[in-house]
Amino acid sequence: MVGAFAWFKWEALFRDWAVFAEGLRTTISVTVLALTLALILGIVFGVLGTSQWTFARVISRIYVEFIQNTPLVIQVIFLYHGLPHMGVMLPVFAVGVLSVGVYHGAYIAEVVRAGINSIHRGQMEAALSQGFSFWGAMRHIILPQASRIVLPPLTNQAVNLIKNTSVLAIVAGGDLMYRADSWSSDNIYYGPAYVTVGLLYLLLCLPLATLTRHLERKSGVSS
Amino acid sequence: MKKVGIVLTSLLLVVGLVTGCGSTAPAATPTPSANGLSADVQAIKDRGVLKVGVKVDVPNFGYKDPKTEKVEGFEIDLANVISKKIIGTEKIETTAVTAKTRGPLLDSGSVDLVIATFTVTEVRKKSYNFSDAYFTDGVRLLVKKSSGIKSLKDLDGKKIGVAQSATSKKAIQEQANIVKAKVSFLEFSTYPEIKTALEAGRVDCFSVDGSILFGYLDDSTTILEDSFSPQDYGVASKKGNDGLAKVVNETIAELKTSGELDKMIQKWGLK
Repeated sequence: MVGAFAWFKWEALFRDWAVFAEGLRTTISVTVLALTLALILGIVFGVLGTSQWTFARVISRIYVEFIQNTPLVIQVIFLYHGLPHMGVMLPVFAVGVLSVGVYHGAYIAEVVRAGINSIHRGQMEAALSQGFSFWGAMRHIILPQASRIVLPPLTNQAVNLIKNTSVLAIVAGGDLMYRADSWSSDNIYYGPAYVTVGLLYLLLCLPLATLTRHLERKSGVSS
Repeated sequence: MKKVGIVLTSLLLVVGLVTGCGSTAPAATPTPSANGLSADVQAIKDRGVLKVGVKVDVPNFGYKDPKTEKVEGFEIDLANVISKKIIGTEKIETTAVTAKTRGPLLDSGSVDLVIATFTVTEVRKKSYNFSDAYFTDGVRLLVKKSSGIKSLKDLDGKKIGVAQSATSKKAIQEQANIVKAKVSFLEFSTYPEIKTALEAGRVDCFSVDGSILFGYLDDSTTILEDSFSPQDYGVASKKGNDGLAKVVNETIAELKTSGELDKMIQKWGLK
């Protein structure tokens, strides 16, 4: 009887640590770029969602509903296996950044929209009456106030984003999860592999989650 | 410090999980019961059904026919023979496995045996009991006809799709080094995914053991002549269930001497 966590399996893992370090590096780079993309999309579509122009609101709605109501896995598979049939061959790294970024962009858009809506509309009316343009009012009056409310749920989205980069494993994305799958399916030392990868994700996410709680306390969102 | 307490508790839980499962339980030495069967074999006999992990996406080995919903193939037949040997009738319960799940399913006892194009390697023997080989096959390469690739050498600078069970990866790498072709590998968890990747142009070559590959051959693809590093398929069982491993080995040896194994292989058009 050899346990799933037998010591010699751990030794093998420590010997091959470079495999996991490489995966961690990929996961972090995808996370950073995807988060940047998600923030840009989220703010743009979040603001559009609160605008007075019906057309802008409709566009924002379509984006949010379409992305939020289809599984991320399908979106990844479409970008990876589907697009090449239409002559677009994105490298797997780009597939990762794009899919995860666009996916979380939709969620962040909702967060941003809710944040903006929580600011009394009198603020916008006052700014417009003072000669601010719509975007100027957003930039200088509304968003700075909304950001305080939005920050805790936003960091929460960042945590989810990190975890969701693991879907890249199914399209040979080279991320942490893929490395664990690949390494452990060769020697079948899955026990140490998945525990280690789980801890590495924890290591990435826990500081952010702690930051969320800290921000919540500071902004008085939680009691 | 409440916080420190929480962190410590969670750490302890993790450590407990890891070491708890890691402790090697005293090996269950097969004690022959009255009728000469070891305890692990007797347990299967008493249950009246042999639980086997098989592939469902490998034509001719273990394949679930979408029309009949039945799993069939060479490895299913082999499982039935082993079941007959242990229980007296062909009574098996199949569980679909992938390269990723077959190890855990054995460890947890969800299946008694894994007969799923499981390549025997020295490293794997440390974790599981493997029977003698019931099938040996070389690694082959499937490419699109339109790619014009004729041999491994032509794959210089190309991407090869392999399954997550890197024996084929290692075999190709060794051969590629000899012919001085620089290749890279992308791993997927199932064979259909690799085929999809090949069709999408994500990989230039789909490589796995030849007889599996033939199940994916179609009009637009071709299998290259190159064949290397014969891979041994063995029936895997949990370490400790040594009585079961012995019965499996005896069964395979009998099948080999009687020529029955070759007949089964021919029946499924393998080789």
